[in-house]
Amino acid sequence: MIKLERISKGFPGVKSLDDVDFEASAGEIHALLGENGAGKSTLIKTIAGVYIADNGVIYFDGKKCRWSSPKQAKDSGIHVIYQELMLFPELSIAENIFVGSAPLTRLGTINYRLMYERADEILNKLGHKLDPKSLIKDLSIADQQMVEIAKSLVGDVKLLVLDEPTAVISGRESEILFDRMKILRNEGICIIYISHRLEEIFSIADRVTVLKDGKFVGCHKVKELSHDLLVGMMVGRELSDIFPKKKFPSFEAAPVLTVRNLLALPKVKDVSFDLYAGEILGLAGLVGAGRSEVAHAVFGSTTRSDGAVTLGGVPLDVPSPRESIDQGLGFLTEDRKGEGLMMLLDASVNITAPMLSEFTTIIGLDRSREKQAAEDEIRRYRIAVPYPGFDVNKLSGGNQQKILFGRWTRACRRVLILDEPTRGVDVGAKVEIYEIIRKLADEGLGILVISSDLPEIVGLCTRVLVMREGQITGEVNGTDINEELIMKYATAAKKAPSVSVT
Amino acid sequence: MNAISSVGILRTNFQFCQVIIPLALFGLIAVATILKPSFLSLNNIQDILTQAAPLALVVLGQAFVILVRGLDLSVASLMASSAVLATAFNATSDAMIPVIFAATVLVSACVGLINGMLVTKRNVSPFLATLAMMIVLQGVRFYYTQGAPYGSLPEGFRFLGVGRIAGIPVNICAFCVCFCFLCWLLHKSSFGRMIYITGGNPTSAKLVGINADRVTIFCYVISSVMAGIAGLFLVGFVGTVDNWVGRGYEIDAIVACVLGGIMLTGGKGTLWGAATGALILILIFNVVIILGLPVQAQLIIKGIIIIVIAALFSRANEP
Amino acid sequence: MDLSRIGYFVRRFSLDPSLIIVIVLLVVVVTAGFLLSDRFGTMRNFMNVLEQASGLGYASIGQALVVIVGGIDLSIGSVVTASTVLMAAVVNVHPALMIPMIFGTLFFGVVIGFVNGYVTIKTGVHPLIVTLGTASILNGTVLIYTLQPTGSVPYWFEEFSYGRIGNVPISGIVMLICFLLVWVFLRYFQAGRALYAVGGNPEAAHLSGIRSNRVILFAYSASGFFAALAGAYFVSRTGVGDPRVGDPITLASITPVILGGLILGGGKGNILGVCLGVILISLLSNLLNYMNVSTFIQWVIQGLIIIVAVSVYVHKGKKL
Repeated sequence: MIKLERISKGFPGVKSLDDVDFEASAGEIHALLGENGAGKSTLIKTIAGVYIADNGVIYFDGKKCRWSSPKQAKDSGIHVIYQELMLFPELSIAENIFVGSAPLTRLGTINYRLMYERADEILNKLGHKLDPKSLIKDLSIADQQMVEIAKSLVGDVKLLVLDEPTAVISGRESEILFDRMKILRNEGICIIYISHRLEEIFSIADRVTVLKDGKFVGCHKVKELSHDLLVGMMVGRELSDIFPKKKFPSFEAAPVLTVRNLLALPKVKDVSFDLYAGEILGLAGLVGAGRSEVAHAVFGSTTRSDGAVTLGGVPLDVPSPRESIDQGLGFLTEDRKGEGLMMLLDASVNITAPMLSEFTTIIGLDRSREKQAAEDEIRRYRIAVPYPGFDVNKLSGGNQQKILFGRWTRACRRVLILDEPTRGVDVGAKVEIYEIIRKLADEGLGILVISSDLPEIVGLCTRVLVMREGQITGEVNGTDINEELIMKYATAAKKAPSVSVT
Repeated sequence: MNAISSVGILRTNFQFCQVIIPLALFGLIAVATILKPSFLSLNNIQDILTQAAPLALVVLGQAFVILVRGLDLSVASLMASSAVLATAFNATSDAMIPVIFAATVLVSACVGLINGMLVTKRNVSPFLATLAMMIVLQGVRFYYTQGAPYGSLPEGFRFLGVGRIAGIPVNICAFCVCFCFLCWLLHKSSFGRMIYITGGNPTSAKLVGINADRVTIFCYVISSVMAGIAGLFLVGFVGTVDNWVGRGYEIDAIVACVLGGIMLTGGKGTLWGAATGALILILIFNVVIILGLPVQAQLIIKGIIIIVIAALFSRANEP
Repeated sequence: MDLSRIGYFVRRFSLDPSLIIVIVLLVVVVTAGFLLSDRFGTMRNFMNVLEQASGLGYASIGQALVVIVGGIDLSIGSVVTASTVLMAAVVNVHPALMIPMIFGTLFFGVVIGFVNGYVTIKTGVHPLIVTLGTASILNGTVLIYTLQPTGSVPYWFEEFSYGRIGNVPISGIVMLICFLLVWVFLRYFQAGRALYAVGGNPEAAHLSGIRSNRVILFAYSASGFFAALAGAYFVSRTGVGDPRVGDPITLASITPVILGGLILGGGKGNILGVCLGVILISLLSNLLNYMNVSTFIQWVIQGLIIIVAVSVYVHKGKKL
């Protein structure tokens, strides 16, 4: 169905795809696997006509193709469901489903009645009950995802690409999705499926192509593969090389952070936990389970409705970021560009931002001391930045993340909350970041890691809390920590999801 | 590491923009001097600077607001309002001048406070908030004067606009004082750093413990106060008060900031740049006159320049 | 009518809360008018208001279209001015060209709008700056040509603004038809829905195969068209090309757009709300005139309306 030969695509500073071959045929579910930054998204966008490859040829349906816009790719029968949902919040479900292809009346106007009917049909096929007239902005993330999937069922789709669709939906919805994918496959549609979760790939995919650092690693039938072999292909090294050795903290001293009955509606409903000095505590769960919201409520960047937080024995009763920082609590947010860095400002400004008062004298900021501090952090974390005055928007994701580590480890003495610390970071930097986290814990910091990357949680943490719909549904300790158990707590409680680990 | 090797190109591109502004300045001066040799005479330079001072004061304030991702369209209206306010005292003695100044600063600060509160607390877009403020001020002013200002100003006011201290025009002195203070505030103090952080990323500013709302409001207050003071100096320079003192200055101030490399997306730019922008704008107006073009040609040139320069900067800063 | 029925209608016709606010305000103003002035509540007066509202109406339609795609057009006033001067000046010399010039003027508006859109797309400069720039260029050009009202048009062209069909002013009818057509276009045509899509989520629109650039170009061109139409209306009213006539129009055209519940940043709003906004503002100013409230106070009221309208409609995260 689709065949890519020696595709290369570079961006200023990065070679995102390097001579990649890829091929998928009609009537199969073809998994595309790779670490963050392996080039999966770039490959997808090249197929979808968003990016134009620098080199290489694309054959689609037997013909050589060169799309210059998403519209051309779409018209040829390619539908992509991106990770960030591509929906219009102010338009109705039906209009989103039929964007650009609404059923028309004889006069050429949009036939709303027919459109609602057909939208209803499609949603029913998906086994999802939604009012096609309601607006997207009023829907939950899972429902929005279903609308996104419903979009693909309109028109003559030949190739369907799903970019990590299960990251935001629950186990039941995943099952529905997988059933639907199998039906589509049997109808002869080619499906490219991207996911981090190996279990899903083993349960649904026919073949798998692995990318690593923008290069093609291999393409195999799933039946011929074992779990470990696949991980080896994806990562290029043993798991034990990636994660530093776990060390268990002492639970004898009083916990450094206690959270009791934390309530921050609508996302956080009654959360309590303790964090000990030197501990790396994981907070797992599906996207939308309320993990980041817990972090924000603890840190004081959103208002809490109720609950008590103490830090090093001191209650944080009037929560505000300033107060938390002064008490020694740091929060490295999930969205590096949106909530973390000041992209247009330089490295040293970004590093020293939380503790300007440290450098303030009567006549103003002490620039030389500030620069010195920034240089210390740059050296400590081996950040590839030529000088402290260098703008951060020109750094790679890994180095940007290390700048944030520099910022927060300088500012906080007791507890560090890390929300998705390795998102959008290449494997090399990932390993470095894991080492940093381990070292910080050894230095006596309590660390709370929020991550959707289950291997990361499993490999890094000595204790894991699992959240579902705003509540903690389980706690996993020590050697019990595995992906299956975490997923069991994270999804519908009664039965474990139908995925299996080989 | 790959990322850094390509950075060179981007950097030169950005520097190109930083270089082009001073170049434009020297280019304009050169053109003017060739056309009119007396252009570079001390007297003429002083004239031009005197002319530029009120605008430059407004530009400095506008720069603060733009740095925190805002926009202040109410400055021109506020200039006229402060001029009208000055006449309201109907003062004849120069001793009243400090009182007039104090009243202007106070009223302007309140205006800035309201602008800032609307933008931060009510989440009104800066464009609309300051636009509405512009219209409201205009209405209040006209209602008070019933269309034509009356009342008188103390003699000393002329001194503000055209007088000299030790040979240097008073309003240039005033500009220098304001410039030095604001430069210190923005570029040296930790509060200035907070402004850059807030403008660079308001969300992360909040997350690093900065009261972003307060910083933003303060920037609007600075802008308004500078506009109020500029209004008084402009009255001193022009010599008469009318309801439209400073008309068009809001646009000129924004143009000057854009010319000076202050990015409308916030967090980038310097006061030096802003002041240079103001000077370039005034020079353009002068060159238009030297060339014997109709005064209205300024508008055309201004329009072209703002689009071209904005385009250059926006291209240079694309990731 | 009980409340549940109102709720039903709100859902049935998917009425925006902001639309309801405008309707309530309209009722308030009209009621107040009947109580406070005996000259206000006459059919004659309402027809006059309709006639006077249409200039603002045309301009607001254009502004609304640009705002829906996430932009703003600050050149509307200058296009109005330039159109009046262009039309009056040319027709003054060649009276026979009157009818071609009507179309010529509208075409001129489209061209200016197109340029606005094109520059915005190609340079990535904020539309605020781009349209400010074109406004400055147009104003400068017009003012170099003339500082005083100039030119003239044939007497019959007056009919476009003052003419009546029965009792109803032609200009008002044209305005209402324009609003209706734009509403139908925005609601019932794919191309119209594309405006909302581009304004609501530009990236998604691009990836959904909508040609965003064309949509944006269309919106700006339409804005230019309606501004030129407003220009034609003013020529018809005054018979001359006035280099100052458009000055207040730019900002005035934003108020009804905001009142109608369109948010700056795009992707949302009903054009009929804008129509009601235009009528509301015209009625209000008419009423205030009857009550001998000075124009100056009316300015203050206009400013307060903007502030209140914007602060009441919650704008989530979207800022211009």
